[in-house]
Amino acid sequence: MEVLDILARLLVWLVLAPLLPGIINKVKAWVACRQGPPVLQLYFDLARLWSKGVVMSTMASPGFLIAPAVAWVAVVAAAMLMPLGRAGCIFSFDGDVLLLVYLLALARFSTAWGAMETGSAFEGMGAAREVSFAVLAEIGIITAILTLALESGSISLASMFTPPPGPGAALLAVGLFIILLAENCRVPFDDPNTHLELTMIHEVMVLDHSGPPFALILHGAAVKMMLFSALLVQAVLPLAHMPLGLSLAAMAGGIVLVVVAVGLVESLTARLAFRRVPLLLTIGFLFCLFPLLLTWMEGVL
Amino acid sequence: MLTGQPGWSWKSDFLLGGTPLTLLLDAVSAFFLVLLSTVAAAGSIYAIRYWPDSTHPRTAPSGRLWWNAMITGMGLVLTAANGLHFLLGWELFAVSAYFLVSLERGNPQVRAAGWLYLAASHVGTLALFAFFASLAAQTGSWELGPMRDNVELAPLFWLAFLGFGIKAGVFPLHVWLPSAHANAPSHVSALLSGVALKIGIYGLVRFSGWLPTPPGAGWVMAGLGCTSAVLGVAFALGQHDLKRLLAYHSVENIGIILMGLGFATVALERDTPYWGTLALAGGLLHVWNHGLFKSLLFFGAGAVLHATGTRQMSRLGGLWRHMPWTAALFTLGSVAISGLPPLNGFVSEWLIYSGLLLAGMEWNDVAMAVIPAAVLLAVTGALALACFTKVCGVVFLGAPRSAPAERAHECGWGMRGAMLMLAAGCTLIGLFPAMFWQVLSRVAKDWSAVDMSSRAPDALYTLGLTHVALAVLGLAAGVGTIWFLRNRVRRSVTWDCGFSAPSARMQYTAGSFAGIINEWFAWILRPTVHEIRPTTFFPSAAQCASHTPETVLEHVVEPVGHKILRLADKASGFQHGRVQSYIFYLCVAILVLSAAAILSGRS
Repeated sequence: MEVLDILARLLVWLVLAPLLPGIINKVKAWVACRQGPPVLQLYFDLARLWSKGVVMSTMASPGFLIAPAVAWVAVVAAAMLMPLGRAGCIFSFDGDVLLLVYLLALARFSTAWGAMETGSAFEGMGAAREVSFAVLAEIGIITAILTLALESGSISLASMFTPPPGPGAALLAVGLFIILLAENCRVPFDDPNTHLELTMIHEVMVLDHSGPPFALILHGAAVKMMLFSALLVQAVLPLAHMPLGLSLAAMAGGIVLVVVAVGLVESLTARLAFRRVPLLLTIGFLFCLFPLLLTWMEGVL
Repeated sequence: MLTGQPGWSWKSDFLLGGTPLTLLLDAVSAFFLVLLSTVAAAGSIYAIRYWPDSTHPRTAPSGRLWWNAMITGMGLVLTAANGLHFLLGWELFAVSAYFLVSLERGNPQVRAAGWLYLAASHVGTLALFAFFASLAAQTGSWELGPMRDNVELAPLFWLAFLGFGIKAGVFPLHVWLPSAHANAPSHVSALLSGVALKIGIYGLVRFSGWLPTPPGAGWVMAGLGCTSAVLGVAFALGQHDLKRLLAYHSVENIGIILMGLGFATVALERDTPYWGTLALAGGLLHVWNHGLFKSLLFFGAGAVLHATGTRQMSRLGGLWRHMPWTAALFTLGSVAISGLPPLNGFVSEWLIYSGLLLAGMEWNDVAMAVIPAAVLLAVTGALALACFTKVCGVVFLGAPRSAPAERAHECGWGMRGAMLMLAAGCTLIGLFPAMFWQVLSRVAKDWSAVDMSSRAPDALYTLGLTHVALAVLGLAAGVGTIWFLRNRVRRSVTWDCGFSAPSARMQYTAGSFAGIINEWFAWILRPTVHEIRPTTFFPSAAQCASHTPETVLEHVVEPVGHKILRLADKASGFQHGRVQSYIFYLCVAILVLSAAAILSGRS
């Protein structure tokens, strides 16, 4: 039973995740009155990449191929820790939320390592930006986790998500949304579409990857997107208290809503100048800090 | 001792310095002795190939002498239960460390580093002299032991904090640390960073356990811990010298240890709730962890230095090709020090984090302090990750930036073996953390009678299992990818945006990699940049060099030192050899003294 449960969850994460970039692209196309690529485009891309060969830089070590695989394992492992509404987690322990954050950090380390393999200045630039801005994003995430921990009195993901309705939840949603945009390299932090390397963060890190490792990178990015959306939805809606069917439906609806919002932001705003990125991340941190202070005030009074 | 045997003590029949030599071994001493023996053994093996007689005929024999003297001194410090002998051991280890740091005395940089170390170390020793002397004066004997009930002894803790804090390299007392670690031979750097700093931590642990602590001691430790952690890694990011960078990471990790121990001390005043035991366990475990991975990293840096002759990261690059073992082991150490799962660094940071988060739910003054502390710990982790992607990427990956880097060679099996041993230690603690809980609980008991349950928290078992699963899956994914792609890889040049003549010098450098973060910390790093900007439409020469100074040393210690020297110069004007003036000074002194005597007699 346990094994079936694990497999079912794995399937949900691995199979559904590539839908999200498709939805984002559809929303963007819809706003621009274009037809746009089909929602399932990423699946086709992944299948095509999987059957292709790999072109590897002459400078790169075998680590260049291993790094995307390790990063993918880390992201998927982090996703498996995430509870799914009323369905809960496969297993949980006190402090697993920290493991989740640090698994994402492990993925970042691997990706940046892979980027440095090629000796290209572009990829070095991308890696430097990624790890630098991640510092500020990490502050926001830890603050959000502190908020959730104080609200629920628990540091285990299974019982952390008991958000009380109120202004705190709304503020936290905005804060987490900003962090989601930054961590998933979306506009206004990064532009997943641009081909001008100097303005990119994540895309420029994976310039030299190709074939199956690149498929792993794309798929990992989709899983990460779904992971952050699930985190955001559960941090705001009390899904754990709903009946199973309703909570899963609400979760799916919430995740779709989040990615539609990402698509809208992407269509309606431009990418920020790099100097402004820390500023917006700080704003995201403040949006996570205020609910913490609100919880604190309620707790002390 | 760590497996639960009762403590051992020995008292000599003869007198040394007027008191019998007393040795005491309890779990706290044993905990640090295990680290000392592990790192010293690895270092001794490493040094056979790293510093052999054939290449260093003059310094290798004396190096061995001082190496052993230093280990003996540290061993004596760890077991001494007598203030006098503690100081003897302390001085023995401090002085032999000086001779080890300055083995290559021909180089003026090394001499300066050694001198700075000696001076700083003696400021610390002075504080410790004052500490032990006043302790002996108040208790009437040099004997050491638990005396928590004697509340009058509490203020002495601050003297001990100063003395041990300088040795441990707590910010801002770390001024000696970067240059000494950078200029010492690498096996010495490993011993200095992996163990010698921990002797300072041992002192703090020992005397915060044996003596009553003043109120606020825990807060000061935790506060300085946070400062050390964040600023240590910020300074590390600004460095271009591989070993200097690692040295600053020691400041960071000592900060993390102090964070755990500081909050544990705060918890001690509140009868140590559960979160306090977690913070204590994390702080203590980080002592071992840092000893293991930092020695591993210094050995790796030593292998690079041995193979290329330079510590400058901007002259390295592409070393994985010739040094795959060193590159792999150094990366393992980097993952561990950045606190990433599934290695040991994450386990201790996770324990501290868990302690802090749980403390946050108490809704009291502690809770208010742990929230910023947890955020700062997160910042430290993210900055360390940034720093080590920079180091690994710039040193081992990409293309070689200089001829020596192109001709590098892998280190011998002796050096590799030493690194493998430490790497195995890092992995073992990472994958099976619960095995070490009982050791920690015994140390906690001998530290200050903290009653930690002998069974590890369930979460730690689960974390260990998750780590094992993660390691297996990660390995499988890596091996599987290589196997899956074995016939499908084609080699080609790096995509360079159509540029036709790429050069290795076009790669991103260590300085540019850390540029963004350095800018955020410019207020304390005070980096100096010398640049010749390109001019006109066809620029010929352009140059940019940046340097991050040791701000505390150059902007605080040195100006103050110069002021004192200038004052001393002025005072020396009084001493000029004219007998008449000396007689005049005597008369004035007698007059002042008699006036004082009369005035005080009247009142």
